[in-house]
Amino acid sequence: MARAEGKLKELKPAELKRDIGARRDLVVTLNRRSESRLIAYGDDFLFEKLPAGTRVIYPPPPLDALPDPDVAIRYALLHPENADPLFAQLNPNMKVTIAIDDISLPLPPMQRPDIRERLLNIVLQTLTDYGVDDIHLIIATSLHRRMTEPEIRRMVGERAFRAFWPERLYNFDAENHAELAMLGKTDHGEEVWLSKRAADSDLLIYLNINLVPMDGGHKSVAVGLAPYQSLRYHHNAATLRDSHSYMDPKTSALHRTADRMGRVVNRNVNVFTLETAVNNRMYGGMLDFLHKNEDRFSDWDHTRLKGFKWTMRNLSDDLRRQILYKYTAPYGMTGVWAGETEAVHKKALERVFQQYAVPVSGQSDILIVGVPYICPYNVNSIMNPILVQCTGLGYLFNMYRNKPLLRAGGTMIICHPLRDEFHPEHHPSYIEFFHRCLAETTEGAALEKKFEAEFARNPTYIHMYRYGNAYHGVHPLYMWYWGEPARQHVGRVIAAGCEDPAVAARLGWDAADSLDEAIAMATSDLGRSASITYLHLPPLVIADVE
Amino acid sequence: MSVQRSNRAKKSLPVVRGVAFYDLDGTLTDLNLLHMTAFFASNLAQWGGRLKYVFGLLGRLPRIAKAEFRDRHLLNVTLFETFKGISRDRLELLGEEYCDRFLTSHLYPQAVEIIERNRETGLEPVIVSGSPDFVIRPLARRLNVTTFAANRLMFFRNLATGRLHEPVMAGQEKTTWCVDYATERGIDLRNCWGYADSHYDLPFLTALGHPVAVNPDRKLESSARSRQWPIVRFTRSSDPNHEDARS
Repeated sequence: MARAEGKLKELKPAELKRDIGARRDLVVTLNRRSESRLIAYGDDFLFEKLPAGTRVIYPPPPLDALPDPDVAIRYALLHPENADPLFAQLNPNMKVTIAIDDISLPLPPMQRPDIRERLLNIVLQTLTDYGVDDIHLIIATSLHRRMTEPEIRRMVGERAFRAFWPERLYNFDAENHAELAMLGKTDHGEEVWLSKRAADSDLLIYLNINLVPMDGGHKSVAVGLAPYQSLRYHHNAATLRDSHSYMDPKTSALHRTADRMGRVVNRNVNVFTLETAVNNRMYGGMLDFLHKNEDRFSDWDHTRLKGFKWTMRNLSDDLRRQILYKYTAPYGMTGVWAGETEAVHKKALERVFQQYAVPVSGQSDILIVGVPYICPYNVNSIMNPILVQCTGLGYLFNMYRNKPLLRAGGTMIICHPLRDEFHPEHHPSYIEFFHRCLAETTEGAALEKKFEAEFARNPTYIHMYRYGNAYHGVHPLYMWYWGEPARQHVGRVIAAGCEDPAVAARLGWDAADSLDEAIAMATSDLGRSASITYLHLPPLVIADVE
Repeated sequence: MSVQRSNRAKKSLPVVRGVAFYDLDGTLTDLNLLHMTAFFASNLAQWGGRLKYVFGLLGRLPRIAKAEFRDRHLLNVTLFETFKGISRDRLELLGEEYCDRFLTSHLYPQAVEIIERNRETGLEPVIVSGSPDFVIRPLARRLNVTTFAANRLMFFRNLATGRLHEPVMAGQEKTTWCVDYATERGIDLRNCWGYADSHYDLPFLTALGHPVAVNPDRKLESSARSRQWPIVRFTRSSDPNHEDARS
């Protein structure tokens, strides 16, 4: 363990460049002879020729995974940051709650054993060794949908599942008012609510996965175990509009608010945080060519790509989704830290940026992104238009530090088929939001003022959230707010490859049949000399724009 | 008109932003009309009389089954013929007893919760059911629901004739009643919610702005999915983590 951790700590950007030999190729300018580029397009990929001069930003290659993650976890528990080791905090009479990140992370779900299973098994063994038996495991779903029994079993592993399900292993219920406690207010007057079980515990252990820098830190406990009464202070149009970007916690109002609230939690509850970082090895096996620069595709890569596209094209929508959701990513754990929330998160953030950050010079007039089949809110579900909006304008636009990749007033091209499709059991309130609310306005603050309270209190949606597997009624509004910074910054959004122009129009976007048409539409506005950047993901990449 | 509203409710109608219409059988409870009719038939008289009513009901079963598959209106008419010759006070007494012994204990806890939460958000609860008024009335009282629409038997010299007053609360007539009720009160149908479980309620649900399929039968589930309506599952367990409580 010591050697593996030491090796990773020594990986400076220069060494990374030399070792992996790919950093110099991460920003590529295309010429006329360049190969077509792969662009995520919902359940499929486009393979399109981009104009000469287009700048393509590739994700860095995956960092090496820790060779023995279990040893690393034990080491972290014994050598925590700004806290006593876990064993030193235990006594047999104490009440312990373990909160766990839900299915929204990582994406796609990782191959077994899930990192959370590893963390859980070791933490539970430690608790058992010290005679602690009043233990509850809570899936920190906040306002996300309840995870199903098979999903939980897969995530936490057979051992924890058999021992704790369902009495002592369950989803957080943000609408069970008897099980919520208010801990106090921040100096800004924000009410901090938390799961009562967690608040009453002598020790709250949080098991986290950091896929992107937006995750983790105070956002874990203060958001994951909090109800609407708390979330409304940071999940609102004004706060999200002031976040530049979500991926840079230092300049994000969302994170500043969550931090304030998290500090109130930590003053009232003994929180012991376990954070992990993963590499970006999203595709393995037959799909590993998706990590490559297309100019370096071998004949075998081209054959696999054609085979993949042919298969996807000839499957029914349902079957295609089922196959895609069966796919699990061979993510590797690149680090694990334990202890006091802020100290732990600082270390985790360094490792996450080490994985994703790519230096990029200057902004661009046109930004092209492809929205894949999955986002945090449609695992085993349908990528509906609101989630396409959230992924495109919310997440992909925000994959930057310092300055956005797109200049103010520029055009963003989002590649996705954009069908009027929703999952009625997972996203019931999204349907009403899309058809009723967006028909009136697309302005975030206006939607918040007119509809948020109604959706948050809607009894049918609350029922479906509590007893079914639906996202909370207010969730589609939150997804819309995620796009606020982009909507303020971007001049025009064009949906490329859009199958239903009415859907694009409802989102306030223009529609184009193809990427070529979308680029022509953008350059007709901005001139033929407009600069174009294609952010090549997934896997993920964060542009450090100079 | 088979609407019932208490005098107090008539005098001081609260300001509501909409109406939530609830079907009863299969929606608020897991019982059905046949169960209710069988209870009445087996409790109507002395043993000899009971046998007469029970055998009468059994004799009608083929017609009832046929009606169930063809037409909900016909089903109601056929079922209520069973009550021919029974006195009004006896039916009302049995209605109270049926409510106490079965209906209240078979109410879905989540249904009661939704009625209360809807009421808190300004939606007036109204029960719209094909069950007879002498069954719905005591239940509505217990749920603190002041307005309901139910089927009403015709009586001659205080004895049931076995026939129903128009409109019979089924299919299109149920829809018409709800539309008229909302219109009379100046409520936009787009602000009205409807909860029902059967494909016979499709016209009723379609007329309202917020239709919800509750434990839907196969045909209604299929329609709800294609129309992207919310589908909810009520169970007898109030614990979200209970196996039965999960969709």
